Parts: sequence; C-alpha cells; structure tokens
Amino acid sequence: MSALAPKKTKVKLAVDLGGLPMHNPVTTASGTFAAGKEYADFVDVAALGAVTTKGVSLNGWEGNASPRIAETPSGMLNSIGLQNPGVQHLVDRELPWLAAQGAQAIVNVSGHSFEEYVAVIEALEAGAAAGTAPVGAYEINVSCPNVDAGGMTMGCHGPSVEKVVSACRAATERPLIVKLTPNVTDITEIARAAESAGADAISLINTLLGMAIDARRRRPLLARVVGGLSGPAVKPVALRCVWECHNAVKLPLLGMGGIVTGTDAVEFMLAGATAVAVGTANFMDPCATVHVIDGIIDYCEEQRVSDVNDLIGALKC
Amino acid sequence: MPVNEKAPVLLNMELGCGLWLMTLRSPIIARAVEPGQFVHMLISGMPDHILRRPFSVYAVDVDKGLLEILYQVVGVGTDHMTTLAQGAECELIGPIGRGWQPFEDTSRALLVGGGVGAAPLFMLAERLVAAGVDVDVVLGARTRAALSTLDHYKMLLAGAEGCTRDKPRTITDDGSSGRKGLCTVLVEEALAEAAEKEAPYDYAAVCGPEPLMRAVASLTATADVPCEVSLEKRMACGVGACLSCVVETIHGKRRACVDGPVFMADEVVWA
Repeated sequence: MSALAPKKTKVKLAVDLGGLPMHNPVTTASGTFAAGKEYADFVDVAALGAVTTKGVSLNGWEGNASPRIAETPSGMLNSIGLQNPGVQHLVDRELPWLAAQGAQAIVNVSGHSFEEYVAVIEALEAGAAAGTAPVGAYEINVSCPNVDAGGMTMGCHGPSVEKVVSACRAATERPLIVKLTPNVTDITEIARAAESAGADAISLINTLLGMAIDARRRRPLLARVVGGLSGPAVKPVALRCVWECHNAVKLPLLGMGGIVTGTDAVEFMLAGATAVAVGTANFMDPCATVHVIDGIIDYCEEQRVSDVNDLIGALKC
Repeated sequence: MPVNEKAPVLLNMELGCGLWLMTLRSPIIARAVEPGQFVHMLISGMPDHILRRPFSVYAVDVDKGLLEILYQVVGVGTDHMTTLAQGAECELIGPIGRGWQPFEDTSRALLVGGGVGAAPLFMLAERLVAAGVDVDVVLGARTRAALSTLDHYKMLLAGAEGCTRDKPRTITDDGSSGRKGLCTVLVEEALAEAAEKEAPYDYAAVCGPEPLMRAVASLTATADVPCEVSLEKRMACGVGACLSCVVETIHGKRRACVDGPVFMADEVVWA
C-alpha cells in the first residue's frame, strides 16, 4: 500500500497565506502530525499545502506528566506540554527530510520568553540560509494552554502579543503566522495586536482550556488536571472565532478546530479562512488530511466552484 | 510498515468474566504482525468517541487473513465493542510497535501473563516453541473462568517437544484454578526451581497489570534473567506523532506506541 495522494481535479486549489504559496489550502495542526515522517506511510506529505511541525523550543522540553490525554464527548483533552527535542534536531533531521519529500514546512515556534522565540527563529534562519533546512513560514505559538510560561500566558494579553510578534518580525522576513488562543474575552483584540506588530497571517484556534474528572476515583483524568480540548466538539467555537477575526483584521486566516471532512474545511473558508489545518482528525484517520482535500474538491465540483479562493469569506450573512 | 486496513468483524463472542474474543478479517496486518505488536482500532458505530483503541494481537490465521483480539470490557469503547456482530466494519492501523524480542540464542523462557495480559504473549509462546525453546508459562487471573487463554496454552505446550513442563502454571485470586494468590508467587517458585536445578531462564516476558510487571521485573533482575514488559498507556495517534503515550525510561521519555509497547524491564523507570 502506498501513501495516499489527493484526487486529480480541474478546480484551482492554490492559495496564498500571507506570502506563503500553498498548492492547496490544507495543512496540519501543530502537534498532531510531528514533522510528517510518522504519517508518511499513510499520506503523501508533499501533496499537502504545507506540513505544520510540532512546536519547537530552543533547547527542548520534557513535557508534562502522564496521563497526558483523555477522551471527551466528540473530542479529547491533551496536556502534552510541548515536549520537543529542541530546534537543532528539527534543523538537522526533520526539515531536511520534509524538503527531500518535496513538502513545504510551516514551523511552529514556542518559547518561555520573548528572547527564546527569537533565538528559535534565528536557529531556523541559519538552517534555512544553509539550504539544508528550508522553512516556508513560521507559526508563532502564543496559545498553548499546557505550559506555565510562554504559550497562552503570553497570548491572552494584547501588549505581550505585540511585543513577541515585533521581536519575531525583526528576526525574519519569512511569512509570520501568529496562532491565537480562544481562551480570551475578545479574540479580535489579540488579532489586531498581532496585525499591528507585523504578522502576515493569523491561525486560530488553539485548544480550549478544559478538564475531565473520574467521579468514582474523585480524580482528574489528566495529570496536570487541566488541558486543551480539541476535535469536533470545538468546531462551532473555532468557526465563530474565524468569522469574528475575518471581520476585524485584513490578514489572511488559517482556520482550524475540529475539521474532519472537506465540508468542515469549506465552512471555515466561508467564515473567512484562506487555509485550514487538520489536527485531531489525524488521530481518528491517519489519511484525514488527504480525505479533507478530496472533500474540498468534491464540494467545489458539485457546487461549480472553479477556484477555492472564491470560497474565502463567502458566507452569506 | 503499518497500514490502515478496513477490517470486517467475523466473530465476536463472550468468554466469561467480561472477556471477549473478536475475530476480524485483516489480511495485510495478519501477514505482517510480529508477536507483541498491536493494532489501533477505530471501533465501528461510536462516532462521538473519536479516539482509536489499541489492542494487542492474540492470534492470527495468515492463510485465511484473520486476526484475533482478546479484550476485556473496561470502558465505553470495549463495552460498545461487545455489541458488534458479524458484518460490522472496524478499521485497524497496524502492525504497530516494537514487539517481543527474545534473543537468538534464547533456550529457556519464562512467560508471565496476568489476566488479559496472557493474550499478547501467545504468539510469542508459539514462536518460541516452534524454535525449540523450553517455554515455561505462568498464567494468573481472578478466577478459573477468567483464565480464557488456558486451553490454548495447554494445547501448545502439550505438543511441544522442547518444553520441560507440558502445561502452564496457573494461579487464581480465589484458588479455583491452580494455586491461590498472585502470579508473583509462581514466578518466585519458578525462579527458585531453575536455580536449584541449575537450569536458569535466559529470557522472561511479562504482560499484565503494571504492579505485576514491576514485581516480575524486580524478581527477574534479582535472578539475573533479562526480562521484557509490554506497557499500556492512553494513546491517541498510534503512529508516534502525538506524544500522548510516553513512558519514563532510563534513556528519557519513550513512546509506548512505536518505541514500545515492549520494553526491556530494566530500562523502565516505574512510577
């Protein structure tokens, strides 16, 4: 059995995500796809619009204690805690592998401090300049709910977002995508902060903070007690966030949250997303990314849409 | 190389004590699976429960393309599985992971299965018996009716020329089969006998509740017998990407799905 590629179509699927050309609008949600290699037996990673890699920090993080996940109705909670081996491993091993497959990388960048985000980008810029570890774009993670410093603690506060995005902006000319958390009162306020600091695109949403309890044992199901909710359960929240940001900023949006089918992806594009990411669905079906692309094609052919760009923000309301 | 294979259910029957045996048609995985590897099952008909469930493979029939899973009802997923009849279609990713890896020159093996943990050891026992290894099997369960793999092991050992014992040692919590007590009692006895007869085991494998595996790991370490354990963790992707199922080892965190599920016992840092 060989890796699955999307069906052939005359529908124009290419989109431009803030300066990142994608041959179709589908990428992966960071943390659900590692750096692609683990899924290469199932899908042709080069056939995706991009592969968004697992969040990476400067020197690597251990991540959180187990249990790290729990299944919840139509979704799951995770508290992995951004376990990663550090940026150099990505530069030396993962990005060259992705490039050799012909896949485009969006690198998700994490940090405990403003300085760490910049240092990670600098390490990636060095690898990209050497020609061995190409980077298509950066996704700045100011939204992980599972770490004590950086992540969501930074992404809930407009001035902090402005500061980290400005610092990253100064470190690279590549497209800068800022990934937002839905765990805020007004997500458009954070989106505006990212826009004014020089972001090229916004991705949303990261997971919703939640918890689950085992009543009989009177214990939380996650070692860290709280974690991030993802999967189909969060799709309505994600759609609402995309729609609100589409009406608030000019930046292109990368929409995600519970996308399982091509129709789900189309709904995000109608709400204003230029591209979409498939996350938790990869756990349900290792070929989910390609099935979503096929589903978008089916929708377009059925609805006589010749170019997916015509779907962006085409919601009638 | 794992595949994602549609797997129709052919048979699903209760064996007693909340244990069930499911037979699925899954020819590609049945042909490729090694002892101790597992499949990650998308259970048909429960769309609101989005995650797959990992199951060790109990037995295969390569010619017929069949695969057997022995499962215990422990939650919503396994409870729903009991309702699946012939015609239901599941989906399996497999074969996954590092299975049992006895040494090439293993000559005397001790296999310890606690409860449903006896299932992932059966293909290993078959493999070792076929290679002429002297296999000693310890099976433990709550009660006689929960020793659902016993007959299978009995048949295997009865016809095995290289085995000193022609049947498994058994022990139950209530004494309804074999001795009364925990598996570790029989493991201690087996190790003591081996020492006395100067016929030491040169390989041990254990699967069952974590306290049992930890205890056997300690007993075999004292007896200087290399031991492997098969660990179970909550799992999401099943392919090594999500880092949900990590296990603490002396080499750092390792993924139970693809770096395991079988680990050398002396590499595991027990909680």
